[in-house]
Amino acid sequence: MSNNIFEIERISASDFFYRNRSLAGFDNPVKATYTIVRELVENALDACELAGRPPKIMVVLREEGPSGGDGSSVYRIRVIDNGIGLSEEEIPEAFGSVFASSKYRLVQSRGTFGLGGTMAILYGQITTNKPFRVVSAKDGRLAHEFVMKIDIENNRPVIISERRVSSVKGPLTLVEFWFEGKYRRARRKIVEYLQQTAMVTPYADLLFIDPDGMVFLFTRSTDEMPPPPREAKFHPKGVDMELLRRLIKSTRSRTLLGFLSSSFQRVGRKTAREVLKLAGLPEDANPKSLSDEDLSKLFSALRTYDRFLPPDASVLSPLGPRLFEAGISKELHPEFIKAVQRTPSVVEGHPFIVETAIAYGGEIRPQGEVQLYRFANRIPLLYDVSSDVSYLVAKRIDWTNYGLKSLEEEPIALFVHIVSTKIPFKTVGKEYIANKPEVAREIELGLRECARALKAYLFRKRRAEMLRMRYEIMRRYYELIAEIVEELTGERPPVENLLGKIRR
Amino acid sequence: MIAVKSDSVRTRILEIAREVARAIEEGRFPRLEYPPSSQSNIEFVEGVGYVFKPRVFSEISGSRVKSVKTLAAVLYGLSRALDHLENGLTMTKRDFYYLHKVERLKGTLFPKDQSETDARIVLMELILGMPREAFSITSDPRGWIYGDIELVDRSGRAIRADRVGEMGYSVPPRPENIRFRRIGVKAVIAVEKVGPAKNMIELGIPEEYGVAIAILKGQPSRSMRRFLRMLSEEGVPIAVLTDLSPWSLRIAATVVYNSIRSAHIPDLATPEARFIGIHTDDVEEGFFKDYQFALEPLTPADLKAAQDNVNLPNLQGEFWQRENRWFLRRKKKAELEIFKAMSPSAKKLKELFVSYLREKLSEGLGVTI
Repeated sequence: MSNNIFEIERISASDFFYRNRSLAGFDNPVKATYTIVRELVENALDACELAGRPPKIMVVLREEGPSGGDGSSVYRIRVIDNGIGLSEEEIPEAFGSVFASSKYRLVQSRGTFGLGGTMAILYGQITTNKPFRVVSAKDGRLAHEFVMKIDIENNRPVIISERRVSSVKGPLTLVEFWFEGKYRRARRKIVEYLQQTAMVTPYADLLFIDPDGMVFLFTRSTDEMPPPPREAKFHPKGVDMELLRRLIKSTRSRTLLGFLSSSFQRVGRKTAREVLKLAGLPEDANPKSLSDEDLSKLFSALRTYDRFLPPDASVLSPLGPRLFEAGISKELHPEFIKAVQRTPSVVEGHPFIVETAIAYGGEIRPQGEVQLYRFANRIPLLYDVSSDVSYLVAKRIDWTNYGLKSLEEEPIALFVHIVSTKIPFKTVGKEYIANKPEVAREIELGLRECARALKAYLFRKRRAEMLRMRYEIMRRYYELIAEIVEELTGERPPVENLLGKIRR
Repeated sequence: MIAVKSDSVRTRILEIAREVARAIEEGRFPRLEYPPSSQSNIEFVEGVGYVFKPRVFSEISGSRVKSVKTLAAVLYGLSRALDHLENGLTMTKRDFYYLHKVERLKGTLFPKDQSETDARIVLMELILGMPREAFSITSDPRGWIYGDIELVDRSGRAIRADRVGEMGYSVPPRPENIRFRRIGVKAVIAVEKVGPAKNMIELGIPEEYGVAIAILKGQPSRSMRRFLRMLSEEGVPIAVLTDLSPWSLRIAATVVYNSIRSAHIPDLATPEARFIGIHTDDVEEGFFKDYQFALEPLTPADLKAAQDNVNLPNLQGEFWQRENRWFLRRKKKAELEIFKAMSPSAKKLKELFVSYLREKLSEGLGVTI
């Protein structure tokens, strides 16, 4: 859904890939290994959520032998999911060409580039020159297996072999291919990624078997899934020039008035007329015959017009406080957890919702540094934490107001999840979120609400602790008093009655 | 001081224990009321000294965590006192401290240091309204008297205070049991320092001039003060001879007026006693005027004491403040040893002592020697 997709469609996929190795996350063998696992898992999660089924995903990574001189190895990865599955006809197109799934649509989705695993498969093919294997079937159907390669020049699948697998029934998708990478140095990030994915996907079962035979199992704690995101039209403030050009190219409307009122959300005929008036363009002009100058006029009118209703946030699918809490709890086992979902807000023409959570105590230990977990559209963000808006917000809050020494010294973890049709990442690397005031504000309000709940909890806990200690002291001294009085008077006073009156 | 019989101490302790037991039985948190030895309960009366007048009362409440420990501590302390009393045993403050260093008090009253248990002795005095000696805790017996005084003490033996060794009779912890059989002295001179006092005895001054020398050895103990008061009540003129220093002012004033710390204990002041020096006049224009070279400079601690003296209730009299201002101005002190600086021979020393005492006893107490 990212708009640079449309530009690059004109160049060859492999050109794009090479040009964008680093921003696609394949800049070195370590990062590539991590990115491959990540892309395939996200693809699988999307497929399961599309089917409305709690995901069961298995990732098996095996070392097949050494590679070139740089210490890399050749690995075989196999990812199996119980997602929507593909029919015999769909499989080659879905996996055999890059960008096959791009559409003109606005939807909250995981995939960093909307390319899913195809990039990963392409990387595998480029580094090992081996074909990849896909086995898939829709629910209840028999599976088909394809062994394929991607024809990079022409961006199309080359089927090497194909067969029906009568022993396997859907729903299922298995993807397997070889690639060159370095697992051991990527391991920590991969496990971190999977665990944090488990936090924001508490309804998923994730199993990872690594090349050393280590098994990492993240079991789901609930069957409940958040409602799937809906698709929507673009909000007029959320398009750039290139996207506007693309929308015009694909519209079936014959007039500008029709184009505007049918292509955008929050734009009816009345609003469209006002926009066109502002642009100084006739309502009945054919959108496809606009000059570049007219296009600029239209674009700047969309920018300037200030009476659009805010974008529709119902397309967003936040996790919800209950699931967020469930996910964090099952992975970190805190003693206290509080999640909060903020009301929708808008940044750069796109709706967004911030969800925050604070976990305290239990198996969480002080780390001497801020423990901040960040998520965007249900994907963990693992890099550049100290540049992230959430980190800046966390640092500027005075935590002593909430009965805490500091984030570094307390057993506390913070969680920030942003869902949006366009996450306001700061850089092309898409690893951290820009310090936009609208976003920072929502994060701060969310964290503060969680912190207030934590403060109340700690207050109750400390109070209970205080009462318990107080009772214990009273009990000890009254036992002693009873003994002494008995020594003096010969009779033990019934201190138990008195102790019963003390609040515990 | 009314000599408290152990019977009434016993009654009082059992009363307190029963009161606590009754409260507990009735489901009330027990409380103990007592008059604290705070400023508001102490009055300074010129000519009498410190007087304890309970107006304000404090409460040890068994319902509060902070004071339940004190309640238990008082009861424990009283139970130990009663046990000692009934077995005719005394204990020192140190003993009392060790009575708390026991297995059964671990986690409750086991003390960190002796100051903790010392404070409880004062509390017990206030609660019982009796001096510690009444409940078998003895203060450090310190102080001697040498002179022609015949008395009978708890040992039951008749003792002459000039026939019991070179320092004389050692004043016991509970002097209230002493009965005087015969007092053959014209006056008692209570001397702050051991050295000069012993010299007076060694030079035969008590025998030759019919006086008794009481050796205070610094700040006088309670028992010594009580003993001097008893002698005063027998009609014996009491003189106090100290250094000329900020501390010595306090020593003299304590003999005359009692001290804040023990203000709740009656009969420790001797208002009829006279402070006979060393005075500032003696140094500036009197007896020692030609010996100012023998003065000592004040130490920083001395100076601090002089500054504190400005506000001490029992030093508010015109005389005391005038004396004290001299320290602040001159930053000097005169010690009793100055007599040595003045005397090339033992014979000369005796002359100096006698002439000083003659002048001062006559002037202060109208006693001629």
